Amino acid sequence: MATHAAFMPGTKVSTGSVIWSWITTVDHKRIGILYGTSAFLFFLVGGIEALIMRLQLAHPDSTLVTAKQFNELFTMHGTTMVFLAIMPMSAAFFNFMIPLMIGARDVAFPRLNALSYWIFFSGALLLHLSFLAGAVPDGGWFGYANLTSAQFSPTHSIDFWMLGLQVLGISSLMAGFNFIVTIVNMRAPGMTLMRMPLFVWMSFVVQFLVVLAFPAITVALILLMFDRFFGTLFYAPAAGADPLLWQHLFWIFGHPEVYILILPAMGIVSEVLPTFARKPLFGAPVVIYSGIMIGFFGFGVWSHHMFSVGMGPVADSAFSIATMLIAVPTGVKILNWIGTLWGGRIRFATPLYFALGFIAMFTLGGLSGVMHASPPVDLQQTDSYFIVAHFHYVLFGGSIFGLFAGIYYWWPKIFGKVLDERLGKVHFWLMMIGFNVTFFPMHFLGLIGMPRRIYTYAPDLGWNFWNLVATIGAFTIALSLLIFLLNVVTTTRSGAPAPADPWDGRTLEWTIPSPPPVYNFAVVPVVHDRDDFWVQKYGDGHGTPPRKVTPPAHVDTSSIHMPPPSYWPILLGGAFLFMVSGALVSIYQVVLGGFLTLYCMARFMLEYHHQPAGEHH
Amino acid sequence: MESSHSAQTAGAAHQEHASVHTYLRVAVVLAILTAIEIGALYVPGLPPHILVTLIIIFGTFKFALVVAFFMHLRYDSKLLTALFVGPLMIATLIILAIMALFGSYLLLPRT
Amino acid sequence: MAAEHAIDAHNPNIGCTGLDHRKMGMWAFLGSECMFFGSLIGTYLAYKGKSISGPGPHQILNIPLTSVSAFVLLMSSLLMVLALAAVQRGDMKWGKIWLFLTATLGAAFVGFQCFEFTHFVHLGLTLQTNLFGSSFFVLTGFHGAHVTGGVIWLLSMWWLAMRGRLGPQDSLKVEICGLYWHFVDIVWIVIFALIYLIP
Repeated sequence: MATHAAFMPGTKVSTGSVIWSWITTVDHKRIGILYGTSAFLFFLVGGIEALIMRLQLAHPDSTLVTAKQFNELFTMHGTTMVFLAIMPMSAAFFNFMIPLMIGARDVAFPRLNALSYWIFFSGALLLHLSFLAGAVPDGGWFGYANLTSAQFSPTHSIDFWMLGLQVLGISSLMAGFNFIVTIVNMRAPGMTLMRMPLFVWMSFVVQFLVVLAFPAITVALILLMFDRFFGTLFYAPAAGADPLLWQHLFWIFGHPEVYILILPAMGIVSEVLPTFARKPLFGAPVVIYSGIMIGFFGFGVWSHHMFSVGMGPVADSAFSIATMLIAVPTGVKILNWIGTLWGGRIRFATPLYFALGFIAMFTLGGLSGVMHASPPVDLQQTDSYFIVAHFHYVLFGGSIFGLFAGIYYWWPKIFGKVLDERLGKVHFWLMMIGFNVTFFPMHFLGLIGMPRRIYTYAPDLGWNFWNLVATIGAFTIALSLLIFLLNVVTTTRSGAPAPADPWDGRTLEWTIPSPPPVYNFAVVPVVHDRDDFWVQKYGDGHGTPPRKVTPPAHVDTSSIHMPPPSYWPILLGGAFLFMVSGALVSIYQVVLGGFLTLYCMARFMLEYHHQPAGEHH
Repeated sequence: MESSHSAQTAGAAHQEHASVHTYLRVAVVLAILTAIEIGALYVPGLPPHILVTLIIIFGTFKFALVVAFFMHLRYDSKLLTALFVGPLMIATLIILAIMALFGSYLLLPRT
Repeated sequence: MAAEHAIDAHNPNIGCTGLDHRKMGMWAFLGSECMFFGSLIGTYLAYKGKSISGPGPHQILNIPLTSVSAFVLLMSSLLMVLALAAVQRGDMKWGKIWLFLTATLGAAFVGFQCFEFTHFVHLGLTLQTNLFGSSFFVLTGFHGAHVTGGVIWLLSMWWLAMRGRLGPQDSLKVEICGLYWHFVDIVWIVIFALIYLIP
């Protein structure tokens, strides 16, 4: 029966059936864990790629890796961190937390949700199969044309990158549609849009960014695929084409993409700060509108990545002004976060440390960002380590710190244990110090002339000292991650079980057990306020008294129908991977894969046709 | 399941459904507009900017007719309209921006 | 927006706005497809008139023939709404007929496209000839692929109906198929205007 946890207590289960239950799960909580585990593993892979690069750059004239290998390293590091670490880690939180925070029992399309994960997994696999094939992508994570043309990149390396990204894009798009419908259409009674938690709001904006931005890179990649496989001329200068077409299409995607990377972390910070300051988010509606504005105007600034290509003064000015304007809603949010802390009764716990670290580091990254919003200034800074410093401050100091805040904050809810506080603080401080030691010097290196994407440098340029310092910082970061892993292992082995509400929280996820039962809410909650759980416990300080919510004496959870597991998501994902990878093997594989994909799609779509889910035993 | 009777937000159109008659009339209008557009191509001496304006206006109108009536958006919740029109606006703006950035001849007509 | 209704316990597909999840999901998808075709159309317009050799549109496009195929696709949208109306009122006999005819007109459109493509190749315009060839074939080709997908979907619905496995209770599924089909039609309205009509 789908109403109980996967296995009855006391049942002896085989490893096989456990694996099968994870492979066929359509439960958003399990899918969230799948995403989170994968994301963390790829974060480590991307981190190792970074460490090798830092070892290479620690000293001038180094021969640890060749130039080609270095190109592969920075390409895979960037691609992995963006698409296989930050995005899926955010997806882990979208999956686990959004239904809980809106009072729902699952997402709108549970099997589509599972399919999104398996297609993500396929994309990650395809990208990394390039290592086995000895054709690792080496054109940068942004793959500029026409370096990526068949003429200048004759091996399969760019093909792996191109096809891998297409597959990953499809996964993200599906999830985007799923969460848009979930957030609009599955909120608990009384949960108006303005009563939704900030994390849900920021995630909501992100889903729109995904479904509107990914089609642009899909087209850019299709044009590249046609150029490489079929000899079209989209990026062929000799035929009158403009390689800038790639850059425009890529950055029409790429700029919204960086907001996709940061907004979830901002949402997490907007949850953590009020909880640990024991005070509502200052100006919550304003923070929501700022998030919406950032999302919308984020579509209008893309060519600030292209100030050095010669677009002319009109285009340069237009994009420069738009970019500076976008700093305004971002700054508003930072002020509101500070306003949240001001006058609060702060409880210093690890999630708060990471949230505070986010604010500080993201602000620094934003300051360098405003500098390159000016085209003349950017002409100095672009393609130098100054830019590398900027985006690591916002993506690591911002996104990663924010995601770790979420990891420590929601770990008890997800796994039923609270991560150790002392180890958490050691992790934080080591990471904070290591991060700044690694990336702050890169501002200097950029300003004294060190370009990006070089595999080594001469010893007499004055770059030696800061490069060595940065490498030491990188290994400090690695050490901090070992501390985190140690925390995870020891907590899992011997941590005390977490209560439903370990942090005296404000939102609905803290009203249910840790970890939640498969159906999340035994009784669908009725919502009266933003931060409804807090108001329920303590009143809102403006006349609304605490609400005593007595749970009904006996709740019959056996009548709650949860969607049953299904193997069509993984089968369809596998068929799709077979078809796409056929492009690297033979046309027959593509055709056969196409038929298999169509077949699996039909079975997937007809699985519950005239057979309502959960009513066939 | 009667999808046409799903609850509407307050203030939505009272008529829940277009009749077959309405659909046929829309189809006739679409056909006539298309015929005029194609006919205009063969009008000798019609200035190009007038032709282009006519084609764009007629095309927009046909687009709107299909979306409003055949796709039922006129009678459905405003939420669905927002879900579609927002992205449509963004896509249109981006097409215009690309045309401007690439010096498209459509925006800057050749003499 | 106030959530007036509890989630309908009897129909798990209806949400707190009173709308069906799947219909909402399809509209979100169509919004995304606007960006997809928008990017392809933007590419075509960026390169319009910039081919340095080879045939251009005015030399090769057959307006009268394409007008017929555009008309065919427009009329298929009419048949689609007739199919939906039939299914909604429980008239599966006409539902099947209209579904099949919609698919037939769609297949005819694809047939026109295939004919046009092979004809152009004979006239010396291929994917590799010039910017016009590349951008024309990719834009209209992807549109044609979308139409083909729609035809397969329509025929599947028709086939289910023929086997007695599609009825008035499935009208939402027919409606969603219809939304996709009309969208493919309106994209063609835009493409037809920009490629064929505008000089």
